[in-house]
Amino acid sequence: MINSSIWILWTVAVMVITLSIRNPFYLILVIVGLFYLGHRLARQKNISAWVLSNSRFILTMILLSTLINGLFAHVGSSVLFTLPKGWPLIGGNITTESLVYGAINGLMIGALYLLFNIINLALNIKQITRLIPRAFQPIAMVVTIALTFFPSIQQRTQEIKEAQMIRGNQMKKVADWLPILIPLLVSSLENAILLAESMTARGFHKQANLKAPLALVSLILAAFAVFSGWILQVYRYPRPIYITLFLLGSGLTVLTLFTIGKRSKITRYHQESWRLLDLLMGFLITFFLVSFAYLALTDRLLSLNFSPYPRLTLPRIQTLGIIFSLIPLLPSIISNHD
Amino acid sequence: MINFKRLSYQYPQSSHKVLDNVTIDIPAGTLTLVTGASGSGKSTLLRCINGLVPHFSGGIISGEIQVFGSDPIGEGVAVMAGKVGFVFQEPEAQFVFDTVEDEIVFSLENLGISRADMDRRINEVLNELDLSGLRHRKTNTLSGGEQQKVAIASALVAQPQVLVLDEPTSQLDPISADDVLKFMLALKTQRKLTVLISEHRLERLLPYADLILNLSEDKTIQFGDPQQVLPEIVQVPPIIEIARKFGLSPLPLKLETFPEISTDLLPSSNAQSNHSPKIEGETLLSVHNLNTSFSCRTILKEINLEIQGGEILVLMGPNGSGKTTFLRSVLKLIPSSGEIYLNGVDIQNLHFSEVIQNIAYLPQNPNDLLFAESVIDELKITLKNHGQDLTLINYSEFLDHFGLAEKMDQYPRDLSVGERQRTALAAITIHDPNIIFLDEPTRGLDYHAKRSLSDLFYQWREQGKAILLVTHDVEFAAHLADRVAVLERGQIIFVGSPTNAFTNIHGYQTQTAQLFPNRGWITPEDIENTTKPTF
Repeated sequence: MINSSIWILWTVAVMVITLSIRNPFYLILVIVGLFYLGHRLARQKNISAWVLSNSRFILTMILLSTLINGLFAHVGSSVLFTLPKGWPLIGGNITTESLVYGAINGLMIGALYLLFNIINLALNIKQITRLIPRAFQPIAMVVTIALTFFPSIQQRTQEIKEAQMIRGNQMKKVADWLPILIPLLVSSLENAILLAESMTARGFHKQANLKAPLALVSLILAAFAVFSGWILQVYRYPRPIYITLFLLGSGLTVLTLFTIGKRSKITRYHQESWRLLDLLMGFLITFFLVSFAYLALTDRLLSLNFSPYPRLTLPRIQTLGIIFSLIPLLPSIISNHD
Repeated sequence: MINFKRLSYQYPQSSHKVLDNVTIDIPAGTLTLVTGASGSGKSTLLRCINGLVPHFSGGIISGEIQVFGSDPIGEGVAVMAGKVGFVFQEPEAQFVFDTVEDEIVFSLENLGISRADMDRRINEVLNELDLSGLRHRKTNTLSGGEQQKVAIASALVAQPQVLVLDEPTSQLDPISADDVLKFMLALKTQRKLTVLISEHRLERLLPYADLILNLSEDKTIQFGDPQQVLPEIVQVPPIIEIARKFGLSPLPLKLETFPEISTDLLPSSNAQSNHSPKIEGETLLSVHNLNTSFSCRTILKEINLEIQGGEILVLMGPNGSGKTTFLRSVLKLIPSSGEIYLNGVDIQNLHFSEVIQNIAYLPQNPNDLLFAESVIDELKITLKNHGQDLTLINYSEFLDHFGLAEKMDQYPRDLSVGERQRTALAAITIHDPNIIFLDEPTRGLDYHAKRSLSDLFYQWREQGKAILLVTHDVEFAAHLADRVAVLERGQIIFVGSPTNAFTNIHGYQTQTAQLFPNRGWITPEDIENTTKPTF
C-alpha cells in the first residue's frame, strides 16, 4: 500500500500533465498507463467489469466530444461534407480538423475520469476525508457526505423505480423519470441532513479557527500575492516575477492551513505509516513534476502542444514527452500486495 | 441533572412553537421514556439536549437548558459531544464510515483523545456490547440490530453522562429490538448513565422507565413517575389496558409484577371469536415452490402460500429473512422459479401491467411513491398510468376512507408521517386492485395513525380484498391478522391462526398472551365480560 498523501501527489502530477497535453499520442499513452494501473488495483474486485465500464465511458466521451465539436466548430481546411447553411448552429463545413480537435478533448476528459476512478479504488472514504486540511472541516463534511452517498444512490434509484413501476409507470418516456428524480432528490437531501446531524453530534466541526486574526491576515496576503501574480502575467511582466508571486501565495496558504490544522486537537487512531518506498515515490513524482514544469515553461516540450488547425498534420513526438506521459504508471512500481 | 427551564422553540419558517414553555428536571441516573403523537416534538426535545436544536436546525429558542452543568444552547453541539451520546432512528443512515472500528473511533478522534486511551475505550465498549467479533466488518453487511448496537457503541465510546436515543428500535424486528435494549439497559447501570429514549410503542420500555415524559398534541406536558403519568395517557400498551380493565392500582408496569387474577373474575370461555378464521373467500393468489436467489445465494426456499379474498395474512420474521424479497418475487420485480397463480392464471402468462392491475404494493418507504403537487394529483397519475378514466371517480369520497378528504389539495410531502402513509396507500389502491401488499406500514406511526390504518384494512377486508401485511409490530398484527405466516432464513416455518402464533412462537407472544397463557387470548379485547374485581 502506498501512503495516501503520495497518492494525492501523484494525482496532482497526473492532472497537471494531462491538462498540459494537447498531443493525442501522449494522451493515449496516459490513458493506457492509467488503465494498466487501474487494472492492477481492481484485482481484488471485478477486473473485467471495471475495464469494460471505463472503456465504455471513455469511448462514449470521445465519440460525443468528436461529434459536438465537429458539428458546431466549422473551422479547418479539410472539408468532409457541408451541411446546409440555413441549419442553425450545425449548418456549415464539417472538417477533419474539428473532428480531431473534439476527439482530443474527449481523450482529455476520459483521462481525467479514469484518474478519479483510480483514486476511488486506491483510497477509501476515510483516507480521502483525512487528506482535506483540518482547517476546512465544513468542506470535509460535505465531501464525506458526497462520497458516502455515491454508492447508495444507485440502490435508492432502483427502489424508487420499482415503487413507481408498481404504480403503473411504464418508464418509456423521459418524463416518466420525473417521478423517480423527485423522491430521489428529497430522500438524498433528508439522508444528507441526518448524516450531517450524526457527524455533528459526535463532535465533528469543533474548531472555528479561521477566525483567528493572524490566520486571516496571512490568507488575505496569500490571496493578494496570487492575484497580483495573475495581473502581472496578464500584462506580460517577466516570468520569474509572477511565478515567484504564485509560489509565495500558494506556499503561504498551505503553511497557514497547516498551522491552523495543527492547532485543532483532533487525534488519529490509525496513523498512516511512511516507508522508505513511499518517500522514494514521493521524491520521484516531485522530481518528474518539477522537471516537467521547468521544461514546459522554458518551451523545451513543444510537442505537448498540438493543434489540428488549420490543416491536420501528424503530431510531433519527443522522447521526453513519452517519458512524462508514463508518469501515471509510477505507482505500479510498488506492488500492491505488500 | 438535566433541567429545562421555560424552554420554547420554533423551527425556522414555522408559524407555531413545537415546544412551548417546557420546565422539567430529570435526575441523574434515570431512564426517561419520551412519548407522544407524531409531530408532538419528541425529536425536537431530545435534540435540545445536545444542542442540535438550535445549532443545527436554526429557528428561535428561548428559555434555558442545563445538562450536567453545561449549557447546550451556549456551548454548541461539538462541546456537548463529550457529554451527550446520541443514537438516531435509522441505523444505516447515521454511519459516517464503512467499517465498524472507524465508525466507533470517529467521536474519539474529534474529541482529541490520545491513541492509548482510544484503544482501551474501544475494546471496552466492544466487549460491553458484545461486538468484538464485528470490529473489522463493513457496516452495511451487519443486521439492523447489530447496526444499532454499533451506533450505541459509537455514542458511548466518548463516555458521555447522558445517552439520548431517538426511536432506536422502530426499524428492528422484535428479537433484535429486545437484544439492543437489553445491552442498552445493562450499560445504563454499569456506566451510571442518564438515558432519554423516545418510543411510540410503550410496551417494550415501560418496565424499565423511571420516568415518563408525555408530550400531548395540545402542547401540555405530563412528566413524572409512570404511575402518575400513565393514567393521563389514552393510548397505552396492552398490559396497562388490561390492568385498567380490572381496575388495578398501582398499575403493573411489567408482566412479572402483574398480580394473579382470580379465575372467577375472568370470562370462562376462550374468547377466540375475534380471531376465528373468516368464511373462506376464493383464493386470489397462490404461490407454489417459490425459490429466489441473488448471485448464487438462496434467499427464498420452497415457499408455498395462498391468500384468500377477504383475509388479512400477516407475514412476520426477523430482519433479513426474505419478507420483502418474497413480495418482490411475486410481483415479478425479481426473477424467481416456481409457480404463482393470480386469480387462477399462471403469472408467467401475464404481462407486468396485468399483474400490477391486480396487486397493489406499498414499499417500506412510502415517500418513494410521492412526487406530485397535491394528494389528488397522486391519485390521477396512478389512474393515468393504468389507462383508466379520470372522470369516473369521486375523489373526495374515495379520500374520505383514508381520512384525507380535507387534505386533497395539499402537497403530499408537507403532511404528517401517518397522512403521507395514507396518501401513498390511496395512490396505490385508486385503481381498485383486489390484492394489497404492505411492507412495514406502521414504521414511525403513533397509536392514533395506526388505528386509522387498521380501520382502512378492515374496510378492504369487507370489500373482499386480500391483504398481505409484512410487519414487526406484534401487537398491531395480533389485532388485525386472520392468519399468520412466519418466515425465517428464507423458509416458511409457520402458517396458522393468530391465536396459535401469538401465544406460542418465541419472540412473537403478545403481552396479553403472556399474561394469560393457555387462555387463547392475544389482545385485551379478547378478555370480554369481565366484572370489576374488588381487591
